[in-house]
Amino acid sequence: MVVAAMEANGLRIVAADEAAWALGLRPGEPLARARARINVPIRVYPADPPADAAALDRLCLWAKRYTPTVAAFGAEEGRDGFFLDIAGASHLFGNESALLADLARRLAANGLAARVAVANTPGCAFALSRHGRGGGVAPGAEAQALQGLDVAALRLAPGQAESLRRLGLRRIGDLAGAPRAPLARRFGENLLLRLDQALGRRPEPLVALEEPHAYFALRGFLDPIARQETIVATATRLMESLTPRLEAAGLGARRLDLTLFRIDGQVRSIGLSLSVPTRCAHQVGRLLDLRLDRLGPALDAGFGFETVRLDVAATGPMRASQIPLVAGGPDAAETGHLVDALRQRIGPSPVRLHPVARHIPERAETARPWKAGDGTGWVFLFPPKADTEKPTISDGRRAHDTPAFKTGRGLADSTSPLDEVIPSLRTPATGPLSRKERGPVAGPLPTPCAEEDRKIPLGPLATMQSKTGANALARQQSSTIGRPPPRPLVLLGRGEAAEDVIALVPDGPPQRFRWRRQVHRIAHAEGPERIADEWWRAPAPPRDYYVVEDEMGRRLWVYREGLFSPQTPVRWFVHGLFA
Amino acid sequence: MTQNTKNGDPETPPPATETLAALRALVSDRSGLRGARGTVPFGIHDIDTRLAQGGLTLGHLHEIAPAAAGDEPAALGFALALIARHLARIQGEVLVVTARGHPLPYGHGLAGLGLDPGRVLLLEVEGDRDVYRAMEEGLRARGLAAVAGLVDAGLPLGQSRRLHLAAGETDRLLLVLRPAGAESPNVAVTRWRVAAGKALRDRFGCIERPCWQVDLDRSRNGRTGHWLLEWDHAAHRFGLAGALAGHAAETGRDRRAG
Repeated sequence: MVVAAMEANGLRIVAADEAAWALGLRPGEPLARARARINVPIRVYPADPPADAAALDRLCLWAKRYTPTVAAFGAEEGRDGFFLDIAGASHLFGNESALLADLARRLAANGLAARVAVANTPGCAFALSRHGRGGGVAPGAEAQALQGLDVAALRLAPGQAESLRRLGLRRIGDLAGAPRAPLARRFGENLLLRLDQALGRRPEPLVALEEPHAYFALRGFLDPIARQETIVATATRLMESLTPRLEAAGLGARRLDLTLFRIDGQVRSIGLSLSVPTRCAHQVGRLLDLRLDRLGPALDAGFGFETVRLDVAATGPMRASQIPLVAGGPDAAETGHLVDALRQRIGPSPVRLHPVARHIPERAETARPWKAGDGTGWVFLFPPKADTEKPTISDGRRAHDTPAFKTGRGLADSTSPLDEVIPSLRTPATGPLSRKERGPVAGPLPTPCAEEDRKIPLGPLATMQSKTGANALARQQSSTIGRPPPRPLVLLGRGEAAEDVIALVPDGPPQRFRWRRQVHRIAHAEGPERIADEWWRAPAPPRDYYVVEDEMGRRLWVYREGLFSPQTPVRWFVHGLFA
Repeated sequence: MTQNTKNGDPETPPPATETLAALRALVSDRSGLRGARGTVPFGIHDIDTRLAQGGLTLGHLHEIAPAAAGDEPAALGFALALIARHLARIQGEVLVVTARGHPLPYGHGLAGLGLDPGRVLLLEVEGDRDVYRAMEEGLRARGLAAVAGLVDAGLPLGQSRRLHLAAGETDRLLLVLRPAGAESPNVAVTRWRVAAGKALRDRFGCIERPCWQVDLDRSRNGRTGHWLLEWDHAAHRFGLAGALAGHAAETGRDRRAG
């Protein structure tokens, strides 16, 4: 049985089955000569390339059971097979050879004669399956596996393999050893490209089979369109035509692809992402308008677009919702529309700040793009008024950060880094640790002994204006107990070094320093609040933070790096600015 | 009316306040400030009476600037305090648009100022042009309560008109923060100049609340003034610090005088 196709000089064989192959029939031979040469009646079928392509597509879709990335062979490979990218998928079948065996078994069960190979590069796998014996190649052994194969296995242009053979370069091994420059000069860049791709020296991206979108609409024009208004109106109309089907399925579009086919064969593609699923055609039209505004001449309509196609690339569930009788509260969808419009019109997406349960200030929050229904974890508990004198305690961070050797209390009451992971170790008097993980929050917490709390010194609060004496100090401490530790309105990305610092040694606040070419004379300072680095990371020196106010009333957050030692110079940094 | 009185009308002439109110209505009609769409009152009689509508009008443009280089955190704090005061009364979110290079507010610092960071949308864009475009887009969207923009240069007349038109009939608090010394004529209804002030101390001498020296440089149909304002982040309330503290040494040096 052979398949023959009409070519320039008559019918030629394009494919032959096993029996015909045994008779010596090869693709490319004229059918009439083959009939004359052998004295056996042969069954001839006309070639049907579109049906072949459709069958290959079906097979590729079936092969998606192994991996999502399936690429059919192109013209250079002969359009009679497909690549599977099994990176990260082979373990689902045990290992690569198990996957290979499963694939071969299933293909054989369907009556398809197949030879499968697995290798690190598509070129190598192709060469092994079409010109070798199939099977697997260990990573790095490509050159060894390929060296005995015919040069045609490199997917060369039709004449190239023949002229290589004429030069005596029959095997790939001969090519790999030959000097590159003369080869490139004689056979063009393509030969070296194919060689390198097979050996893994250059990447070869696979063009994955695209899954057809479930929802799409298309419109062609007799006269090409080029104006922005027309494109937007067309897209709106297309979206309107999709709306009933989306509505019936209870879905909304999350991502849209607008493809514009230019009259000279160029294709322009515009993707629209939506924060909230939508079916509203006018919203889509408006977003597209904003996007085209931003693109401007970059769209390059040329002589115009003859076909416009709108694909719904991703959908999200969109349930019917009750319209409130009373217009009121904010709607997440409204903010979503704003976010989409900003993204199309300007580019970046608005972000929201989220608290992170870390006590290093610069790592205590993160900015993430706005997402619908993204509840943030900020907890608000305002400190009680100073004059209510309720037994309160700060969020535990201050107590934790206070060095034990300064409080004068035993280690049992002070906190150790272990408390980070074992909250139950904490004594009740120092407050619940769980609060600590929730940002700068303080609130009235029932603690068993108020007087006990009052006595806990929270580190030496140095106030230069204050009168000397332990009494004044104790009063200051008691007034700061009920408050969350101060955090600046603007936090610099990293501490900026303050120069010419005059500060009391060993651990006093700065009295004067220069920062950003401006001298700050400090009139008032509060602190320190010691913040140590996380012990499970590479340890950085602890920081002693002070809130300082200069003579102009500007408040800054400064810290001294490391513990004091007479040998090393003291380094001060400005880390934040208060309102 | 005056004709009537001259003609010997037996009715008494209308009181001066009514005449004033009528004249004010006439002036506000002419100046395009039609219809009171709500205000954000300061809650301080002295300030509210100097503003035409008894507070910062919603849907109109308000300009805030630091008094000098280095007062930027104070100006930002004042603007965010105004927003916090507004958000405490109504639902909705605030969009803060900043030109690249401005530091973004710190979430825990916002919380410390009484503004829920979960209600703040931050957008960082390339330059002033994009800031104004994003603000216009924000004014068009529903679901926002306030729109604020931090720009690199002064607020030009053309852009301020565009913002004013975009605000249209909405009821958003609309603030623009510009750097110090970049004044330009524009249609902003009020213009504030903010400098850092010595923080309010509690009875133990510790910093209790932020404090700003606030100058109202321009107030359409109102009067200007200078105050030392403190901000209570828990009650979302402004206060006059000078009146409370009583002695000048604690309230800070008045820079205009000095």
